[in-house]
Amino acid sequence: MQSAPPPFVFPREYSFPPFFTRQTNLTTHHAQLVKWASLVLTYCRHHRIFKLSLSGQPPVPTPQATPTTTTTTTTANLDITTPTTTTSSSSSSSDELFHNRKLNRRLSLADAREVIDFLRKDGRAEYVAGGGSSSSKDSGDVAWIYWRTPEEWAALIEAWVDETGQKGSVLTLYELTQGDATRGAEFHGLDPELLQKALGTLVKRQKAQIFGHEDSQGVKFF
Amino acid sequence: MSRKGVGLAAFDRSRITSAQYASHGSSLRSTDASAFETQLSVFRSLLQQFAQTHAKDIRSNPTFRAQFARMCAAIGVDPLTSSNTTSSGSDKGGGQSIWAQLLGRTVNDFYFELAVRVVEVCGETRGENGGLIEVRKVRESLMGKSMEGAPEITEDDILRAVGTLKPLGSAYSVIKVGSKPYIRSVPKELNTDQSAVLEAVQVLGYISVSMLMDNLKWARARAQTALEDLVGEGMLWVDAQADECEYWSPGFMLESQRQEAAAG
Repeated sequence: MQSAPPPFVFPREYSFPPFFTRQTNLTTHHAQLVKWASLVLTYCRHHRIFKLSLSGQPPVPTPQATPTTTTTTTTANLDITTPTTTTSSSSSSSDELFHNRKLNRRLSLADAREVIDFLRKDGRAEYVAGGGSSSSKDSGDVAWIYWRTPEEWAALIEAWVDETGQKGSVLTLYELTQGDATRGAEFHGLDPELLQKALGTLVKRQKAQIFGHEDSQGVKFF
Repeated sequence: MSRKGVGLAAFDRSRITSAQYASHGSSLRSTDASAFETQLSVFRSLLQQFAQTHAKDIRSNPTFRAQFARMCAAIGVDPLTSSNTTSSGSDKGGGQSIWAQLLGRTVNDFYFELAVRVVEVCGETRGENGGLIEVRKVRESLMGKSMEGAPEITEDDILRAVGTLKPLGSAYSVIKVGSKPYIRSVPKELNTDQSAVLEAVQVLGYISVSMLMDNLKWARARAQTALEDLVGEGMLWVDAQADECEYWSPGFMLESQRQEAAAG
């Protein structure tokens, strides 16, 4: 009953034990993937998770975006979502997502990758280059989950810039996602890397220009 | 000599009597038949009036609708088929078409619309259930989707709606597994073993090889084959994370959602 976001309501299939076992029948498996894909997207959207770690490790906190003022956080630090679930020591997002403690069922890493691959075909996910550590063994454990694609984020930002009449003016990347002006906008609290990707699509379309150094980048919209 | 009925005239007499009985019987039959016909035509016209005045109730009240459908069926008027089939008993062609039109707007369309939605549900869920879905689940799904205040739908309605699809030569049919009606939307026959497994699954939502061996006294191979066949058809889901492989009915996904909703 606090201002915290309401708990995520898992879909019916989350309480269906076979949901966590890769189905052998092709048609059934496809139905299973579709359900998992939509669950991953809605779950990440609900908790505003931009990067999902598949191996159960908490996602690597992003360097500059760690504000404690708002409810939106990029690291998935979750409350208990079902009344019967006990708080666990590792509150990693994907752990709860892929592991139903109540049923004691877990989607294996390989199967989770398959879900991500399925999302990738739809343009709704992308493995984070390097995947936390640079070794190839770990690559593919952290993935961007595009419940909004970079293009969609870009469109939102563009619309906001247009609405607030800031075309032609220069904004810092920090103020775009963390500033007071964008509070309430959906892209407030956006992962900086994802912001870069989004702005990148605007730059490609010659709608924006990014300049500046690593930590103090600015962007100008046309 | 004086005994009656022995002479030749007795044969004549009995012939005459039986002929009289026969003629009397046929006259009785014809009066009965004409009386029944009158009654039926009166009843039909009343039914027509009834349908006219209660058209709204027929649409909105499920029990009323079911009763009405049953009543129509009892007197040989099927509100769902076209007007031609019931024309024999009526001499007024015009009245007949009004009858059909009237029902067409109320009952027919209701069932056709429902049939379309049933087909949608079956199509949406075919991937997860292999084209076999319990009528109850269809109803739950339809009720879940429809807006507040939408007319209530009964399983009876759904069965009738599936019946309307028959003239289209579609693959939709109603089969019984155990005591429960299912809609089958793929043209496949279940063998007896598969039906038995599906029936057993209804109890707990899942079944395993050893459960089948214990309860149905099947050999392991038989149980294994039946289960694998059903998995192959997409009608069961495998849970390999239990102690023994459990085979789940996809229908229980809806079930758990309800429990979840009740708990949360």
